[in-house]
Amino acid sequence: MTELARERIDPTTRIGKSELKNFVIAASGCYNRGAEFGRVTDVSAYGAITLKSVTLQPRLGNGMPRVLPAPAGLLNAIGLQGPGIEHFLAHDAPHLREVQTAVIASVAGFSVAEFAEVAARMDGLPNVVAIELDVSCPNVDREGECFAANPESTADVVRAVKARVRLPVIAKLTPNVTDVKPIARAAESAGADAISLINAVRGMAIDVARSQPWLANVSGGLTGPAIRPIAVLAVWEAAQAVRIPIIGMGGIETGRDALEFVLAGASAVAIGTANFRNPDVAALVADALVDAAAERGLTSVRALVGSANPSFAGERSH
Amino acid sequence: MITRRECVAPGFWCVGFRAPRIAGAVRAAQYVAIDQPGRFAVRLPLGIWTAEGDEITVLFREWGERTAQLAHSDIGTAVDLIGPLGNDFTIPARGARATIVAGGLGVVPFWLLGKRLLAADVQTRVVLGARTAALLVGAAELRALGLNVELCTDDGTAGTRGSVLDALDSEPPADIVYGCGPPNMLRALSKRCVAANMPCEISMEETFGCSMGTCWGCVVPVRRGAKQGSGYPKAHAESRDFDYSRVCFDGTVYAAADLVWSA
Ligand SMILES: Cc1cc2nc3c(=O)[nH]c(=O)nc-3n(C[C@H](O)[C@H](O)[C@H](O)COP(=O)(O)OP(=O)(O)OC[C@H]3O[C@@H](n4cnc5c(N)ncnc54)[C@H](O)[C@@H]3O)c2cc1C
Ligand SMILES: Cc1cc2nc3c(=O)[nH]c(=O)nc-3n(C[C@H](O)[C@H](O)[C@H](O)COP(=O)(O)O)c2cc1C
Ligand code: FES
Repeated sequence: MTELARERIDPTTRIGKSELKNFVIAASGCYNRGAEFGRVTDVSAYGAITLKSVTLQPRLGNGMPRVLPAPAGLLNAIGLQGPGIEHFLAHDAPHLREVQTAVIASVAGFSVAEFAEVAARMDGLPNVVAIELDVSCPNVDREGECFAANPESTADVVRAVKARVRLPVIAKLTPNVTDVKPIARAAESAGADAISLINAVRGMAIDVARSQPWLANVSGGLTGPAIRPIAVLAVWEAAQAVRIPIIGMGGIETGRDALEFVLAGASAVAIGTANFRNPDVAALVADALVDAAAERGLTSVRALVGSANPSFAGERSH
Repeated sequence: MITRRECVAPGFWCVGFRAPRIAGAVRAAQYVAIDQPGRFAVRLPLGIWTAEGDEITVLFREWGERTAQLAHSDIGTAVDLIGPLGNDFTIPARGARATIVAGGLGVVPFWLLGKRLLAADVQTRVVLGARTAALLVGAAELRALGLNVELCTDDGTAGTRGSVLDALDSEPPADIVYGCGPPNMLRALSKRCVAANMPCEISMEETFGCSMGTCWGCVVPVRRGAKQGSGYPKAHAESRDFDYSRVCFDGTVYAAADLVWSA
């Protein structure tokens, strides 16, 4: 194997029929439209940015406090504060044109019908190349059970959305399950073009001074480096279960971290919490993945995908 | 880079950084988001205390891990700062009368504000309070600027015994009141000023996640329609009738009349 010049390495990837200029995506709920981080970094270093999940109705979100720094992580319970699809289309969507990279819209809902309705209205917005479904929400039609905890519920959402949209659809799965494989398979069978994982890991903290839960919502989601090994395993297992591309995320801070996900079988990686510490993280990770391909004498970053995973079920690229 | 480090009272520290761009641009109530080596997932937000030449300082207490590490870092340690972040206070016209009310570490925004008010020929009175003398910091630095500083403590161990709010009653009303400090003090100050129809600006604090305006973790309730709110419509089934505003991005300074304390 000889090391190749960086310029000769193909950095691109594919999510369904959409091509991204590189492997690195900003995770939902951490980046808005990129304007805030645009004050201190070049947002176009991202191959795509994922918008915060949009719901049918406006949502005020949870009370305070909503966050707590945790060891090597962040505990959060924001509660999907957001404008609702109507206000989003009128006030936010027109600005998507200004985003300096591709956009992935994210949809959250509390019923299958809500997902389908919101996703349909996101289809075809400027710059939007895919629609991600945040199926980690409670399902009001099933006694509040989380959609992504159940293969049938996950499949129902994906199927209903696929029937209404033309863009590639990504099902975003939760790690808060015993086995992620049947859920990944259900999403694939229902027509998902890709899956992304992991969403935040459930957790809580007690305010010992006041003897009460720290978060107003009591429980929250843990993100950041603390959850990385959980995420790598989830990607590893999902990559053995489905052939569709996987977007891996959970605690990625460096190129080495991202490479773990890619070698496990991720065709793209997403970064959330690490932006909060290092706004330049996207460029760092994108460059490191190209370097990793170059060092191994490969002509594309895609050729790295799944190469540590002997049972990788996806498409291998050489 | 850390340029100096001084323990100003037990558990309280003043740390300086070489940061020419921030020192040149900073206005009162702005903060820096600090990244230091270690297993921290998010930056530490600290208000900017002083800015002179190429240096800024922060004045803080050892609260938890990040502040403890900063307090015990060697001079010369490289830290990464993002800032200055956040909005600032309104400066009234020449000759106006201003009252600054600070509780404990709520003094932090007022070195820069005091300097600015003096330069603008605003007659400025500073009332600085704390539970007890050991928690009173920053008075000497404010006096060194030429400000008139009154002290009070709940237990009478320094200055007048009583709360900073009692001190408000002792003088005729100001044209503008500025406040920063613990939530209970701010709530009382805010209510008092709104009731008396006195313009009042408050620098708020919440636990931050991103410090950049993207995580929505640091919100405070504001009046629906307040310009610093999200502007999102009210949901049909929502009983709470206020909006949320991101302290890190839309604040930290709010008109007292925009803040909702009953939420
Ligand atoms: C804009 C802004 C400006 C600020 N400026 C200043 C300033 O000038 N000076 C200053 O001193 N501070 C300031 N702060 C506050 C400071 O940023 C916070 O206190 C910060 O959380 C300290 O970080 P830490 O890692 O040291 O402590 P953290 O680990 O974040 O802990 C914060 C506090 O919560 C407590 N805590 C954490 N976990 C628990 C638990 N399970 N049970 C009970 N208590 C718990 C800790 O004991 C500590 O008191 C500012 C904050 C903001 C948002
Ligand atoms: C403050 C915050 C808000 C989030 N909001 C959403 C959201 O609205 N929808 C969603 O699908 N994921 C959301 N996430 C999860 C992230 O997209 C991501 O899956 C998770 O944070 C793991 O990646 P990380 O460790 O790189 O942050 C949020 C995460 C954080 C920290
Ligand atoms: S701390 Fe993230 S929005 Fe304010």
